[in-house]
Amino acid sequence: MNSRRQFLKAVGLAGGAVAASLVNRVAMAALPEPVIQTKPETMPPLIPNQGRPYNPVVTLNGWTLPWRMKNGVKEFHLVAEPVVREMAPSFKAHLWGYNGQSPGPTIEVVEGDRVRIFVTNKLPEHTSIHWHGQRLPNGMDGVSGLTQPPILPGKTFVYEFIARRPGTFMYHPHADEMVQMAMGMMGSWVTHPRDKHPLIAEVDRDFIFLMNAYDIEPGSFTPKIMTMLDFNLWSWNSRIFPGIDSLNVRQNDKVRIRIGNLTMTNHPMHLHGHEFLVTGSDGGPTPPSSRFYEVTADVAVGQMRQIEFVADEEGDWAFHCHKSHHTMNAMSHDVATLIGVDQRELARKITNLIPDYMVMGERGMADMAAMEMPIPDNTAPMMTGDGPFGSVEMGGMFSVVKVRRNQQPGNYSDPGWYKHPPGTSAYEFAGAPTEPARMQSKMQQGMPRLHKPSTEVEVTVRKPKSTHH
Amino acid sequence: MNWARFAAGITLLSIVALSGCARVEIDKSIDRINKDAADFTEGKLILAQNLDQRKALESMAAELLAKPLSQSDAVQLALVNSPALQAMLAANWSKLADAAQTGRITNPVFSFERLVLGDELELTRLLSFNLLDLLTLPQRYGLAQHRIEEAQLRLTIEVVDLISQIRLAWVNVLAAQQNRNYAEQVFEAAEVSSRLAREMQRVGNFSKLQRVRQQVFYSDAATHLARAEQETLSSREQLIRLLGLSASQAEELLLPKMLPTLPENPRTPQEISKAANQGRLDIKLAEAELQAAAKAQGLNQITSLTDIELGIRQEKRSTRNAGSSISGSGYDIGVQLPVFDWGDMLRAGMNADTLAAVNRLEATVSAAGSELRESYSEYRTAYDVSKHYRDEVLPLSRIISEENVLRYNGMLTGVFDLLAETREQIRTVMAAISAQKQFWLADAALHAAVIGHPKMLEQSL
Ligand SMILES: [Cu+2]
Repeated sequence: MNSRRQFLKAVGLAGGAVAASLVNRVAMAALPEPVIQTKPETMPPLIPNQGRPYNPVVTLNGWTLPWRMKNGVKEFHLVAEPVVREMAPSFKAHLWGYNGQSPGPTIEVVEGDRVRIFVTNKLPEHTSIHWHGQRLPNGMDGVSGLTQPPILPGKTFVYEFIARRPGTFMYHPHADEMVQMAMGMMGSWVTHPRDKHPLIAEVDRDFIFLMNAYDIEPGSFTPKIMTMLDFNLWSWNSRIFPGIDSLNVRQNDKVRIRIGNLTMTNHPMHLHGHEFLVTGSDGGPTPPSSRFYEVTADVAVGQMRQIEFVADEEGDWAFHCHKSHHTMNAMSHDVATLIGVDQRELARKITNLIPDYMVMGERGMADMAAMEMPIPDNTAPMMTGDGPFGSVEMGGMFSVVKVRRNQQPGNYSDPGWYKHPPGTSAYEFAGAPTEPARMQSKMQQGMPRLHKPSTEVEVTVRKPKSTHH
Repeated sequence: MNWARFAAGITLLSIVALSGCARVEIDKSIDRINKDAADFTEGKLILAQNLDQRKALESMAAELLAKPLSQSDAVQLALVNSPALQAMLAANWSKLADAAQTGRITNPVFSFERLVLGDELELTRLLSFNLLDLLTLPQRYGLAQHRIEEAQLRLTIEVVDLISQIRLAWVNVLAAQQNRNYAEQVFEAAEVSSRLAREMQRVGNFSKLQRVRQQVFYSDAATHLARAEQETLSSREQLIRLLGLSASQAEELLLPKMLPTLPENPRTPQEISKAANQGRLDIKLAEAELQAAAKAQGLNQITSLTDIELGIRQEKRSTRNAGSSISGSGYDIGVQLPVFDWGDMLRAGMNADTLAAVNRLEATVSAAGSELRESYSEYRTAYDVSKHYRDEVLPLSRIISEENVLRYNGMLTGVFDLLAETREQIRTVMAAISAQKQFWLADAALHAAVIGHPKMLEQSL
């Protein structure tokens, strides 16, 4: 026990992580004791106290795996196993992951490090790990059947290679890959540059997360492994809003966010209030000539993007995927549009049949977030999130970059809601609104339709008459 | 033979025959039905034979009609109210009387002739009666007993039949009412969908096709509702007819809103076989028939040999002149001899009756077991199915409904799907009611089967 505590101390283990013996002690004698994470919160960066120094990353709602040095080799121990991942408060998923969570812990090494990774399989089926994007001997690439036999349940395999290229990588199974990734098996890898690198900037805060998608029937726990398109949960590190921690930075910090996409679709990542540069992909740093400022960067399937910006504007800045259905939690795509449909009279009739029926949607969907009605067990509401001005009405891939003047360096804790200086927040106009001028088109149709429709459809726009309710 | 003595003898004979014959009293017969079919009449079968009795029955009927009619109330109401039942009792009274008649000597015919031929006066007094009747009186008496027994049993079966039909009709109308109410709910759910869809199209959120699709459910539901309404009406009218309600009584008729709940436990086979052993009407009847046939056979052997028509003719001749009269008296006996061998045929026929009766009894006895088994199995299956609906299907349906509302709340399903699901869940409830109805029908059929009136089983299916 004593040695374990020393070990934990030595690796500067973050809160919530525990060392656990999963495999027979004798058999494990030569293995580093696996470290298991029990909490889904963002853990403080793992400051290295062995090996070459580097500026560690912060894994959003995740953690970095401690290692041990053995004869100059960094040894990690990944345990592939079923886990229970809290994806949002009061919503847990039965996933497969590594060392207690999905995704697995981030592995951080330094360019030129010799790395030895023990992979123990506690899954009911065989697995392997592919070190996505890395330069390594072909036999270490982790493609089951192609470059190695699969790791059978109960077995431990050893991967060993030199981290040759600095950059941001991912790891994931390459055995029954579709199922194992649908179940949440993946993790991030950062190889820090050995020396100052002309294309890799030094930053004050370095965040990393993977995007993943699940299809979990509301009220159930396990992802449907055969879903390929109709995912209902769009997550960052197997968390969905409001379960995703905010990215808390000090004003004028140089911030890097490394984003990997292991879903089956692209995600245009959008940051409010700042312009950023895409400084690298999993192929390495981008040449400066290719960099230009933008506020949205698309991360395609299987890609990794690093964005960098100076957080010089104080405030709570939304940061999200710009596909609006990716900032929603589980919902139906077949719900009829009821906007403008007066249901009041019918509601009484429906209530005779369905006593708990509530009218929703005749003004839009925002009612739903406001009403907070009971929904199936173990389900995150489609749109929710309690902000300082009401419901944020979001879900899925949404978080906030909180920029604060007094956020201390090295402090990643949540500073709370931004206090807007007087006169800098949108406010309700108190005067009488005047009728705005409306554009009258004088245009003739350049190329008219060959046959006019027999009846002209009259479209009327309904404007809200009153908002009192 | 002295006339006076002769006459006295005849009179005596008649008195013996009449007083000793199987006299039938309808009240006794009804008491017997109340006893034999206590499970059905609950001792309340009455034939109103005078105005007071009729009045009493009418007030009992009014009392029963004042509140929702339970199944046993319905039976009671029929017993006190149904003119058809009263007619049936009265008709059977006469049938019983007919049966009793076979145990009596045909009423003697007495005729008096006065013939004046010149100065000769001839007085002929004729007292004529069927001698064979007289000779076979003990035998006939026994036969009549059996015929009365038969008629009695047939009447009991008719009463059981009527009461069973009332029980079935009562179950049918209650189930039809409930079914109608749920059909109305399905209709309402479809109507809401349809109206919502129309509104959706009006504001531009639905295409014509989408709206029409919703409207189809509505039209379909309307058809079902109309059919369910008709079903309710016709089952109610059937009950009204069986209860013999007048138009004004029919208007007053109130029925419970729901079928009775399933009993805690079903009747056990032990209970049933014990009850069935108490005396099944069909076996008793077959026995009575055999007894009668056997008696009849014994009797008819004689008849077929010599079908004797016996007339007693007393002649008195007197000559006024002589101041004396010659009276001569004698028997005028006419014997009808079989011309053809039809006596043998008759004899063979009678034998066949007995044989048929023997076989019928045997068939009845063996069928009784089978019918009881089938009826009980029907009852038990209906119980188990209904219980399954109550304990398994309906709770599941309730959970589906609750979860659907939660899913609706979470925008995981829309209002049209919610309403469609609601229609589905209501249909499940209707299936449960149908199962409950089937149980109560089977229950009524089993009651009838136990007492020996198994044909109710077919009507209940
Ligand atoms: Cu997206």
